[in-house]
Amino acid sequence: MPTDFLLSAIVLTPGVVGLLLLATPREAVRLQRWVSLLASVATLVFAAVAWSRIDPANASFQFVEARTWLPSLGIGYRLGMDGISLVLVLLTALLQPIVFISSWRSIHDKVKGYVVAMLLLETGVLGAFLATDMFLFYVFWELMLVPMYFIIGVWGGERRIYAAVKFVLFTLAGSLLMLVAIIYLSFVFHSQTGTWSFAYEDMLRASVPMGQGFWHSPQMLLFAAFALAFAIKVPIFPLHTWLPDAHTEAPTGGSIILAGVLLKLGTYGLLRFNRPLFPEAWQRATPLFLTLAVIGIVYGALVAWAQKDMKKLVAYSSVTHMGFIVLGLFAGTLTSTQGALLQMVNHGLSTGALFLLVGVVYDRRHTRMIEDFGGLAAVMPLYTGAFLIATLSSIGLPGLNGFVGEFLILTGAFPRHPAVVAVAATGVVLGAVYMLSLVRRVFWNPLAIEANRSLPDLTWREVLAFAPLAFFMVWIGVHPGTFLSLSEAAVRRLIGG
Amino acid sequence: MRADLIALLPELMLATLAMAVLLAGLASGKARHGLLGAGAVLALAATGVTLWLAAGATDPGAHFFSGMFVLDHFAIFFKALFLLTAALVVLLSHDYLKRNDYRPGEYLALVMFATVGMMTMASGVNLAVIYVGLELMALSTYILAGYFRREVKSHEAAAKYFVLGAMSSGILLYGLSLIYGATGTLDLATLARVLASAKPGPSALVGVALLACGFLFKVAAVPFHVWTPDVYEGAPTPITAFMSVGPKAAAFAMFLRVFIGGLAPLAASWIWLVGVAAALTMIWGNVAALTQDNVKRMLAYSSIAHAGYALVGLVAGGPAGVNSVLFYMLVYTVTNIGAFGFVILLESRGYAGETVADYAGLARRHPAAAFGMLLFMLSLGGIPPTAGFMGKLYLFAAAVNAGYVWLVVVAVLMSAVSLYYYLRIVLQMYLREGDGAEPATLVAAPWTERVIWACGVAVLVIGLLPAPFLAAARAMAGAVGLL
Amino acid sequence: MISTAHVLVLSLALFTLGVVGMAVRRNFITVLMCVELILNAANLNFIAFSRQLGDLTGQVFAVFVITIAAAEAAIGLGIIVALVRLKQTVNLDQVNVMEG
Repeated sequence: MPTDFLLSAIVLTPGVVGLLLLATPREAVRLQRWVSLLASVATLVFAAVAWSRIDPANASFQFVEARTWLPSLGIGYRLGMDGISLVLVLLTALLQPIVFISSWRSIHDKVKGYVVAMLLLETGVLGAFLATDMFLFYVFWELMLVPMYFIIGVWGGERRIYAAVKFVLFTLAGSLLMLVAIIYLSFVFHSQTGTWSFAYEDMLRASVPMGQGFWHSPQMLLFAAFALAFAIKVPIFPLHTWLPDAHTEAPTGGSIILAGVLLKLGTYGLLRFNRPLFPEAWQRATPLFLTLAVIGIVYGALVAWAQKDMKKLVAYSSVTHMGFIVLGLFAGTLTSTQGALLQMVNHGLSTGALFLLVGVVYDRRHTRMIEDFGGLAAVMPLYTGAFLIATLSSIGLPGLNGFVGEFLILTGAFPRHPAVVAVAATGVVLGAVYMLSLVRRVFWNPLAIEANRSLPDLTWREVLAFAPLAFFMVWIGVHPGTFLSLSEAAVRRLIGG
Repeated sequence: MRADLIALLPELMLATLAMAVLLAGLASGKARHGLLGAGAVLALAATGVTLWLAAGATDPGAHFFSGMFVLDHFAIFFKALFLLTAALVVLLSHDYLKRNDYRPGEYLALVMFATVGMMTMASGVNLAVIYVGLELMALSTYILAGYFRREVKSHEAAAKYFVLGAMSSGILLYGLSLIYGATGTLDLATLARVLASAKPGPSALVGVALLACGFLFKVAAVPFHVWTPDVYEGAPTPITAFMSVGPKAAAFAMFLRVFIGGLAPLAASWIWLVGVAAALTMIWGNVAALTQDNVKRMLAYSSIAHAGYALVGLVAGGPAGVNSVLFYMLVYTVTNIGAFGFVILLESRGYAGETVADYAGLARRHPAAAFGMLLFMLSLGGIPPTAGFMGKLYLFAAAVNAGYVWLVVVAVLMSAVSLYYYLRIVLQMYLREGDGAEPATLVAAPWTERVIWACGVAVLVIGLLPAPFLAAARAMAGAVGLL
Repeated sequence: MISTAHVLVLSLALFTLGVVGMAVRRNFITVLMCVELILNAANLNFIAFSRQLGDLTGQVFAVFVITIAAAEAAIGLGIIVALVRLKQTVNLDQVNVMEG
């Protein structure tokens, strides 16, 4: 298989199929479900081909595609993949079929719109991971906005419209400033070299003046504009307030994608753009971001502990986990950055699994309140086992994936920032406390509520959706080297170590 | 003399054909909507062909009528845009006039006369010519705003538009007279030479300020925007569509020609004025639109805001700035005409089509039309991959390049605000179900639908492949001859 | 001898009267007269400057403006007639049915 168009195939397959599905009649629900699933599986196959073909020792972009698009401004359709994007593309491509399988039955209204929105969203995400043109990156970044708006707003819970609008306005406020920053960055490159370009590789060569203070420092301002867009997406405390609303109101599939993939774009952006483009500003901002990360870790854990709604609990646990990732990125060593990247994948797997499993009981009982459950272990043994695996992965039990990520982040950060690591470690403990207390209350408290006695266990379809996640949780937990070696060269290049 | 007439031929032709349509309308009575509409579209198309031939037969750098009139690329671009606008508006009006039972003859003729005025404005390089074109456009539009004479709202729109439009024309004219007194010329090129060679006196500066006020009035910029919402709400909807793009683009053509051309030497004294007006316009237009429940009023405030974005390009100046304004006018025209087309589609039996709540659940009943409206709203909000995004990109790039980063920051923040009210419409169409009685299905309006389709396709094509359109706009801007 | 300055003062007074009148008067016919005041203030300027500069352009332009002013008045009166037929009033405040 030639790799000339491999990345285009990965990026465009879902979107093109989605647009074609638009033309199908509304009633052809079976067709729409199968075709969308096949399209996402095909994308996964393409991603796997990329995995088998990539040269991990090579730090630069591979399978590069470059076509002119807006020649007057040096904007091009440029795609490229390195180890970092490969790992995240694999995660995205893996989660998408799972989303379709999990929503096979639970989405029965306006199926066409749902699968089209999901496929367009996937194109946006994959495009953002693979774009090596700043402008193209921005286009894909914005492309995600509208499908997600519809996914939350149409198929969401009771307060879906509020949540959808809040999501869009938060995201957009950040990303538009990033657009200004992208244009300005290109302008800096233009004034230094005399040619217009938006190519990422060119931007790396532009040295943005550091200036004095904050308001008179182009580099600090550009850093801030990029970081704001990404911090909202991550979300970094205190910009996280859209997240619980969006997660709680989104349908299960939307939550999986949101937590599993969309949040990663924030941390990916910090690593891919902020770190190498604005190195001095990055140094200057490190204390601030480490502080915010630690606050996020502890705050997210405490708030999660107090939640009565399972889905909200998982949503706040995301704030904690993403705090770890930000900590790993800003700690700045190779180990901690590698850990952060691995943790992005881990969080996608474990939180995706948790949302999936919360969705399972929600489909059966139409409630997510912890107090409405209890003693499920006796009724749904398979389900209990799955939930336990996901929980243990999330809290970082050795042997599962979460442990490796957190361990790498904390050990990588310890030599430079021991105090930060000490506080963050309490977050690990708190995480274990609230997650295990959730498990105890849902699965082992007395089976007091009559409706819970007759709950059916996982169907084969739900098992099928969960199995790949569990498989990768164990694989990463047992042999993380498979994945760490993929990204090491690329990470080294980005952090300049 | 012969070359002069060739250069003026498109205007002559359109004016003659407009009179023919007027007479045919009088002669044929009420029933001949299709015939007259087709005649008007054909007349506009024939004018387009004539424009193309005239452009080929004349030298783009040449001046006609003793240096008062040019047919450079800048003028050709705008004339083509005006003809396109007028043709789309005529098509939109067809079903609408028939449905509301108004005579088409005078209406179509007035649209064509207004177009002649706009074309003259784009070609004038003498302030007197520009003023005459401006008045021809404005006077025709006053009547069109009040054309639905059985409706009070339409009258109110006409009266308000007339009063404020006449006042702005008067202020503009007074400014012209002061500039004439200070420099002794009305010719833009001579004006630029005189202003560059000597330090202008206070009366010239007052003249420029009054001129700027008049122009800002015509593009509906804050603080001269108060007429817009009432006029847009009250006027017949196709005319609202027309006013929101045609005269606005014409005003920008005039603005660019006079300020970037003739008054360039005084840039230091007017640029801050326009810059502040641009910022205020973007802020006020978008913020006021947030609270509107009437869709036409919302679009009126949105069009105020868009004038603000375009002013950013004017402030940026230079070839890149002019280029971006031209491109933006094209983008804005197709998007806004499409959006108003959708409003017209809904203003039929069963739908009031005026308040946002009337849009509830439309996506389910009319998926194609709703999808078109989704595209237009995204384009107005500047979300890729639509044309509106590309338009904004070029405006912002030009402004950043010229050092107006603060203006761009205001613009993007206001774009974020604007998406809130654009999404309100989307939200109603897609996320809410129409409650209460099932509204009647839309009255068949095939031409309106076709216009929406065409505009929707244009929005996507320009959004995905803007390069050829930009190249066209650049060729035009490069030849303004004034830069 | 009447100098340009004299004419300018007069035209400025007319212009101000016109603008203020349009802003504060609600009678449509008065407003129409104020429009004429503004246009003719500009005309006075053009003619005075034309004489001062010894350049005919201003006077020619004034003729154009007079023509346009006539058309404008005709349209204004047309709007008034239509308004009176519908609402029996020439007062602008009484046609206000929209929000603004």
